[in-house]
Amino acid sequence: MRAENYESISHPPSNEFELNFGPNHPGIEGNYAFRVKVNGDQVLEAKADAGYLHRGFEKLMEGRLWIQNLALVPRICVPDPVPMEVCYSQAVEDLCGLQAPERAQWLRVMQLEMSRIAAHLFAFGGHAATTGMYTPSFWGVADRDLMLDRFEELTGGRVYSIYNIPGGVRRDVPDGFLDRLASLLDYLESRLADYDNLFFRNQVFIRRARDIGVLTQAKALKWGVTGPNLRATGLAFDVRRDDPYLVYDQIEFDVVTEEGGDCLARNLVRRGELQQSIRILRQVTARLPDIEGPVRAPIPNPLAWNVPAGETYTRVESSKGELAYYVVSTGGDKPYRVHVRGPSSMHAVQVLEKLAIGARLEDIAQIMFSLDACPPEVDR
Amino acid sequence: MKRKDISIPVEQPKRSNPLANVFDELMDFCRSRSMFMLHYCTGCGAIELPPAMTSRFDMERLGIQPMVTPRQADILLITGYVSIKTLKRVIMTYEQMASPKYVVGICSCTVNGGMYWQSYATAKVLKDYLPVDIYIAGCMPRPEAVIEGLRELMSDIKQGKANSWQRYYKNYDYYLGNQQKLFGDNWQTPTDIIAEARHYNLISEQTEGKHTAVLQQHQKPLEAFEARLKHQQGQAREQ
Repeated sequence: MRAENYESISHPPSNEFELNFGPNHPGIEGNYAFRVKVNGDQVLEAKADAGYLHRGFEKLMEGRLWIQNLALVPRICVPDPVPMEVCYSQAVEDLCGLQAPERAQWLRVMQLEMSRIAAHLFAFGGHAATTGMYTPSFWGVADRDLMLDRFEELTGGRVYSIYNIPGGVRRDVPDGFLDRLASLLDYLESRLADYDNLFFRNQVFIRRARDIGVLTQAKALKWGVTGPNLRATGLAFDVRRDDPYLVYDQIEFDVVTEEGGDCLARNLVRRGELQQSIRILRQVTARLPDIEGPVRAPIPNPLAWNVPAGETYTRVESSKGELAYYVVSTGGDKPYRVHVRGPSSMHAVQVLEKLAIGARLEDIAQIMFSLDACPPEVDR
Repeated sequence: MKRKDISIPVEQPKRSNPLANVFDELMDFCRSRSMFMLHYCTGCGAIELPPAMTSRFDMERLGIQPMVTPRQADILLITGYVSIKTLKRVIMTYEQMASPKYVVGICSCTVNGGMYWQSYATAKVLKDYLPVDIYIAGCMPRPEAVIEGLRELMSDIKQGKANSWQRYYKNYDYYLGNQQKLFGDNWQTPTDIIAEARHYNLISEQTEGKHTAVLQQHQKPLEAFEARLKHQQGQAREQ
């Protein structure tokens, strides 16, 4: 070290000071940073410092073929990659006038819900760690891994599956897959009671998370909050229910809502959604054997695929919120413009900056994990 | 699994006392069995670390544990692509770590840019900017692969082959030149690498060169140092 670095810095006589929170910090989800102004341990001002994970996706996609972009899109949101693939595939199908066969649509619903379970398990595990409870985080990661095993069996990839393509899915389910998925669902359902006892009904967690980071419904609507964070304020809005895509209109499920809009409510919504996703997957495993037909609609040679000119906007409900793609084609073999409307860029920047004001320093991590923001998707 | 040996042999300084060599070997053995890796998720590969660290694959049985501060960490894991903004922090973090320190490049993006080879925002080849001990390729490598890679690192440390930190001191001019190419000529970090190289007796012909000359030209004393100087001058005047 240089000698001058050991010199103390004299502060002006004030209790306020600035603190760099992240990017190299265990309380931050991923590679993300905050510049926080604090008085004691009370946050006076927080400024998000994003861009550590910027890769320029939207520009990269303009330079690659329609089919090559499929390998790129799941990387936008690492913990929950499947909705990215499905949403992009739907956008290309919209432009081409393709329709995925019914069996492929059920398979997509299956993957979306599997991915949602994996992401929610990861999210609550992460949140538990920020409140100092490490057992739930170990459990969450371990049970997520069982779901990743099913992904691996189905698609060959643990995290990035790239199983969906425009026009359907790559291949059918392996033999005996649905039985193994059903037994995993039984196991996960039996674990929910354990999670309740350990975490969701634990007074340590409840007292820590109640009335922290409160988001009212009016503010949530104003700031563009979607997904579980919006449902935690009492508004039953779910893209799966209100603008059904794939075969969600044939599936029974409840839209989980909670009152309060605090860290506790957001976690309870996720816990309810775990149960609903298991319910949806049960219906899929029951219905899928009866639905016959191809899993892929015929598509032209993907290496010389000129998608007709036009523009489209498709949206799906990811585990973080409403995810949408705005795709413009000029009739070439590459997209003219792709815009990703990710849920996390609202949650991690404008919402988190405001929820952090007045909170205590140690609660920033908790608020961030309860919003379940995904930094790679913020930066893209 | 066979792996390509990317390590560059570095001449060990000759010790007059044969006991010192025995002591060094013993220290290397101990180091390889207790490694703290810095808890810094630079990219997507970080998502495979929680499974690798927790109950299922359990890295801790090999003596590898996450550590929150760079000053007490031994391994710097670069988990995936590094954007230019991140790379600055990564270099500062690396320079803060105490020697001996090891760099592990996880994911294909650290090897050659991977999926983002044409991106304007990422640094493509990690070993241009930092000396890398071991690469774990794959997009992304499975937890088993991560653990296998770290075991390779352990055996390298035991054999005294994991000497990238010495390479950084010996070829500082080269690394600094690449960093300056990316960040601009006025790039500087709070750590004085040349003084550290002198301290470790690792100074070589390539440690100083035209790039370090540029660094010294642009180096400004830190604000705190200036403030202290002014304060002292003021006090001297009063007296």
